Amino acid sequence: MLKKELLAEVLDQALQRGGDFAEIYIEEKKSSNVFCEDNRIEKVNSGREKGAGIRVVKDGNTAYVYTNDLSRDSLIKAAIVASHALSTENKHEKTTYNLTTKQAEFEIKYKQMPEDVSFDKKIENVMQANKAARSLGEEIRQVTIALGDIHKNIQIANTDGDYVEDERVRVRLIASTVAHREGLIQTGYESAGSVSGWEILEKVSFEDLAIKAANLSIEMLDAKPAPAGRMPVVMAAEAGGTMVHEACGHGLEADLVQKGLSVYKNKMGEKVAADEVTVIDDATIGNKYGTYRFDDEGNLGERTTLIKDGYLTNYMYDRLTAEKDGVVSTGNGRRESYQHKPIPRMSNTFIESGKSDPDEIIKSTPQGLLVKKMGGGQVNTTNGDFVFEVQEAYIIEKGEIKYPVRGATLSGNGPVVLNEIDRVGNDLGYAIGTCGKGGQGVPVADAQPTIRIKQLTVGGTSLDDENLQIKRIRRK
Amino acid sequence: MESLLKLVAEKVINISYDKGVDAEAFLLHDRELSIEVINGNVETLKQAEETGLGVRVINKGRLGFAYTSDLSDEAVTAVVNDAIKISAYTAPDENHRLPEGNNIYPEMDFIYDDSFNQVDIEEKINMARLAEETAIANDSRVSVIERAGYEDTEFGSLIMNTNGLYAYAKGNFGGIYTFLVAEENGDAQNGFSVMVKRNLKDLNPIIVGNEAAQNGIRSLNAKAISSAKLPCIMEPYIMTRFMSLIAQMVNAGAVQKGKSLFADKEGEMVAAPMFSLVDDGTWKDGIASFPFDSEGVEAKNNEVIKDGILQGFLYDTYTAHKSGVKSTGNAARGSFRSLPSVGTTNFMMIPGQESAEQLIGTIKKGFYITEVMGMHTANPVSGDFSVGAAGIMIENGILTYAVRGVTIAGNIIEFLQDIEAVGNDLRFYGGRAAPTVRLKQLSIGGE
Repeated sequence: MLKKELLAEVLDQALQRGGDFAEIYIEEKKSSNVFCEDNRIEKVNSGREKGAGIRVVKDGNTAYVYTNDLSRDSLIKAAIVASHALSTENKHEKTTYNLTTKQAEFEIKYKQMPEDVSFDKKIENVMQANKAARSLGEEIRQVTIALGDIHKNIQIANTDGDYVEDERVRVRLIASTVAHREGLIQTGYESAGSVSGWEILEKVSFEDLAIKAANLSIEMLDAKPAPAGRMPVVMAAEAGGTMVHEACGHGLEADLVQKGLSVYKNKMGEKVAADEVTVIDDATIGNKYGTYRFDDEGNLGERTTLIKDGYLTNYMYDRLTAEKDGVVSTGNGRRESYQHKPIPRMSNTFIESGKSDPDEIIKSTPQGLLVKKMGGGQVNTTNGDFVFEVQEAYIIEKGEIKYPVRGATLSGNGPVVLNEIDRVGNDLGYAIGTCGKGGQGVPVADAQPTIRIKQLTVGGTSLDDENLQIKRIRRK
Repeated sequence: MESLLKLVAEKVINISYDKGVDAEAFLLHDRELSIEVINGNVETLKQAEETGLGVRVINKGRLGFAYTSDLSDEAVTAVVNDAIKISAYTAPDENHRLPEGNNIYPEMDFIYDDSFNQVDIEEKINMARLAEETAIANDSRVSVIERAGYEDTEFGSLIMNTNGLYAYAKGNFGGIYTFLVAEENGDAQNGFSVMVKRNLKDLNPIIVGNEAAQNGIRSLNAKAISSAKLPCIMEPYIMTRFMSLIAQMVNAGAVQKGKSLFADKEGEMVAAPMFSLVDDGTWKDGIASFPFDSEGVEAKNNEVIKDGILQGFLYDTYTAHKSGVKSTGNAARGSFRSLPSVGTTNFMMIPGQESAEQLIGTIKKGFYITEVMGMHTANPVSGDFSVGAAGIMIENGILTYAVRGVTIAGNIIEFLQDIEAVGNDLRFYGGRAAPTVRLKQLSIGGE
């Protein structure tokens, strides 16, 4: 932790040659990973990092300088570089910034820091999960288990006088399995993660997670090839909110809107989705993977209603984009690390639960596809076109779930799909992921209730993705 | 910088000697400048400096790894101890070895261009501005410049291990890019162009701006087509996307894990005879050229596929040991934060004689492919791919109207065997290079 006085001195240096705003972001981080494949611990690593990012803003333009040398000399040097980048003005008077500590609106209590858990213990848990998945029989040929944890301490100070200290701890587990039968290969994938210390184990069983993935890969061996064509699609809550996050959420980020790269530009107040659809981004929910008390420029994490009963009500803003639109930040300014400037990002994004009983939605569907688990995909945010793989799907006939199908892909257009939703369930299911944008990955969660889309194009070619990365969608 | 990094490396090696483990210190110092302009203003200017250490320990065949960006004595000692501690838990594997020392590295004076340091930042900003201006001026249908910018990177890499290996070199390169949207009649399409060069004087913002604009405009007013099997032309960029799939298939790590269709195919005909591919870590002006790989093995020019015949796979020290061969100098790592694993350097097709126009000119009805979506979903085990695509119809040897929303499907083996002609217009996209390629036919899924 650096002293406030030093931070204030750096801020003064950063605005020496003028500018509207300066900020320093300090980060110290410990992380570890345990990776099991082929029935053995393939990789274990641990890392420690620290660094500072200094930002100077002038007329909406940004100079960003970072260094991992946190000495006074190095920080002052970095501030001088940043101050020269945007301005040619002469030296300003010295300003003393009185940094006031900002209070969070909710507490996150951590019981046991992951770095205090021995590798023995972590490995034991990972190997138990591996064993559990393999106990399902010979057909399970490969099991990979990846455990990752991260503990970050941050400090943010800016020339508005804000000072924020925060501690962030996350643990996540990925289980991926491959099942074989007579030349046929099917994969299963499950992940869980939260803002939590090692006490995540009180809520999540690594073994159950691995068994779930293994069961899925075995069940899909019995699946028939998916049909192709346009058909009604019911997306179960457990599929998570990948679709709403990727195909709509990004288009509601203010930077993309302001650059004219979103289908939602100039649509504020307009009807953009079916009446049943309300979309929310909420950084304040419990211990969800995308939860935070402060965003990465020191604003409070918030709950923001983006679409209300089908009408566009708000975008997600960081400080700079909010200023440009003359509004206040929605607390969505996030960055991957001290190496990156903050940009508008989602936190926990979801379609709000509706009124329908999920079983009844299926019963009232004469024919269609039930999607229970999504895979990877690709999205063009300029026009909202998407392609997603489906990991687990079933055919619905006369309101009944008939048989599993494999190799389905969903292709369509996000904004169009939001208009095509005709039923919304009273349940809600989450998925976690690392969302990539502008070369920065941040942890997010997304969710949706069971929804029915009137018509969607289903492609039927089998695609496998054995990549053990956390669901990382490729975006244009 | 070398002497500073060397001090840290020596510390790592000394502690490791004392503890009786094999160890490697990998140090990277990296300096980056990136400039993004919007409407001629510098929207973002970023300068970064970073130094870090990755310590790989091999303790009786057990691997341990830890990294730090804090190079203080305490942090370095802690990180070596962490790596040793971790090595107690991993499974022993006799193939975990460090490369031998006393290597002779190729001379590469072309990997460092001092003019990147001499040129004023204002001049670099102007290059980004020029790319943006050129794109806007190119055509009135260019509606939004998403990003236009300039970037350069300088890096120094030092590797030392307990076998007496010592390697240090530094390199740099720079690039210009433009990403934009072209619009007409309510239809919006993306266009882009990227140029990366080892010499500052080779960067040309005018080419980048014009190409990005034309790249977007040619996709406007696209039509749908019905499903068909058609002769296809792959743009160099599209061919490099397919080469990413081939790169996975010739990766010895994937081969050894049974994840490659090319396993057991060494010496066999896997592609049409006009298809040749090398991985050349020494290629003059190549972005990925460097005297040694990420564990200090000297860079080489490796033939991968020659006249359609698979010559061999790409190895790092671990996979080479496992297969009883020598490392091909293909250990790669993203940064000091990760262990080395097999990767490509300059992964290049060998160009042919004909121009792109000549290749297109012989097709009566065909499809010129300019975009693929979802390439990462292709299966390197089965070779099957089914990806979204866009392009331009070829009629009587001429490019006609744009086509969008089709899928192309097939198998990479058939794809390679269906290659009929290879163009002379070799072009790099990052570390991959390809010319225009003509395929006998591909299945195109339309309406």
